Amino acid sequence: MKPNAMIELNKVSKHYDGTIAVDSVDLSIKQGDFCVLVGTSGCGKSTTLRMINRLISHTKGQIMIEGQEIMSFDPQSLRRRIGYAIQNTGLFPHWDVARNIGTVPKLLGWPKHKIQARIEELLELLNLPYSSFAHKYPSELSGGQAQRVGVARALAGDPDILLMDEPFGALDPITRESLQQELLRIQQQIHKTIVFVTHDMDEALKLANHIVVMDQGRIVQQATPYELLLNPANSFVSQLLGGEDRGLKQAGLMHVADFMKTNRTMTPSDHQLAQIKPDDSLRLALSVMLWHQQEQLIVMDDNHCVGEISLQQIIQAKPYADHHG
Amino acid sequence: MFWLTCLLVATFGFVHLEELFAQISPTQRQVIYSRDSFLALLLNHIYLVSIAAIISICVGVISAIFVTRSYGKEFLPLVSQVASMGQTFPPIAVLALSVPLLGFGTLPTILALTLYGLLPIVRNTLAGIQGVNPAVLESAKGMGMSSIQVLWRVELPLSSTVILSGIRTSITINIATAAIGSTIGASTLGDPVISGLVNGNTAYVIQGAILIGLLALTTDSFLERLQQKLIVKHSLM
Repeated sequence: MKPNAMIELNKVSKHYDGTIAVDSVDLSIKQGDFCVLVGTSGCGKSTTLRMINRLISHTKGQIMIEGQEIMSFDPQSLRRRIGYAIQNTGLFPHWDVARNIGTVPKLLGWPKHKIQARIEELLELLNLPYSSFAHKYPSELSGGQAQRVGVARALAGDPDILLMDEPFGALDPITRESLQQELLRIQQQIHKTIVFVTHDMDEALKLANHIVVMDQGRIVQQATPYELLLNPANSFVSQLLGGEDRGLKQAGLMHVADFMKTNRTMTPSDHQLAQIKPDDSLRLALSVMLWHQQEQLIVMDDNHCVGEISLQQIIQAKPYADHHG
Repeated sequence: MFWLTCLLVATFGFVHLEELFAQISPTQRQVIYSRDSFLALLLNHIYLVSIAAIISICVGVISAIFVTRSYGKEFLPLVSQVASMGQTFPPIAVLALSVPLLGFGTLPTILALTLYGLLPIVRNTLAGIQGVNPAVLESAKGMGMSSIQVLWRVELPLSSTVILSGIRTSITINIATAAIGSTIGASTLGDPVISGLVNGNTAYVIQGAILIGLLALTTDSFLERLQQKLIVKHSLM
């Protein structure tokens, strides 16, 4: 066993009367990893996730958390140590936001003032002002707000591990996008070990630093987003990656700032060129070029010209060796 | 409040309405039921229904909880079938069957009322618990609540309005059914009705019927108010 593995699955299987939902899965997730399990419906990704907090018990193999077999824990205290967020939020409709968030701390027996402080801290972390949200009921929240509360509630007990089962699956694309950004921002602050399930490869590429592709209960490939895009293990993986769209997906992971030509000052003729920001993706840069029918863009950061990027540079851009961020 | 006022006015006011009732039953010498005071009958009626309600709430809610637990699942079809079958059983038949066992009087009446009142409670508790959103249960469990905590903090509060409406149906039906207890010697507001029917005294029948009706309306509106409060408290729409 690797010494710094937070979660370790050794030949884990789950059988349901004759059918095999998860088949001999080996997985090692390091502390601080953002691990995304991705695959089509029924591939065993949710089952795998739910075996980690023993909502489903595994039939064979070993699941270790910080080196300890999970069957040696009491299931309730195990679950209180692991944050859990699901697609339909599962917020308690009869409790207000504050009480929902305080659920796990209360189960853990924290003193009242500490729970209160934690609720305030989390609402702030998720950009939900305490005064306007703490005493709302889930039925008064929009889908995106409810899911933020769901995430806050999962983080409330300050768990080392966060399990998320398609948490953004039911949201509209714009809300989903902003919650993904927010989750990345939060993860940079809190460095939890996150296991995230989705069927959306774009979401996986965006969030993960460790992608696990599953099919029919088995792990087909696990890699960083870049490795996955560069070397999909088989046709199933490349199909999930969008086949010929792969190039665009890859460009979506690379930032203009890393490939532009710097040290450039504005010349009068530049005003005819379209502009882009340094932290935009190459994919967006390509789209802007197509739209304006230009082979060159000015890179602007807060009204300062910081460089330029050309079609040639995008085409020749070499993917990063490792994950950005 | 309105119905309660009407009930009290009727209970204490009937004795002063001799002339009015004399017109309903002009051939009778006596037109106001006087074997017992209306207040005594009313209190005894309430007492019978309350005892029966307490027993059927306890038994009904507990058995519905039991069959929705993982260890009681096998009994779920049985209990829900018995619950719906029981409603087709006429209360008078339960009375007739329980007399040989328990004799005449209060006890067989309470038994009949308990059995008859059990059914709406079991049915609604089952519906309430089974109607809790599975995602809510999953997250409750996933956050590390024990099954008792899931029951007390999530399942029961979320099904409370449905359970209460079952209790409301049960009690209201039993206020009417309790009158039948008078046929086997329990003292209830059914006494004037039965005695009026036997002696052809319509005035007695009307007095008993009005009181039973007002008691049912009073109780029902009180329980409805309780239910509204619960809905507001849990903001369940």
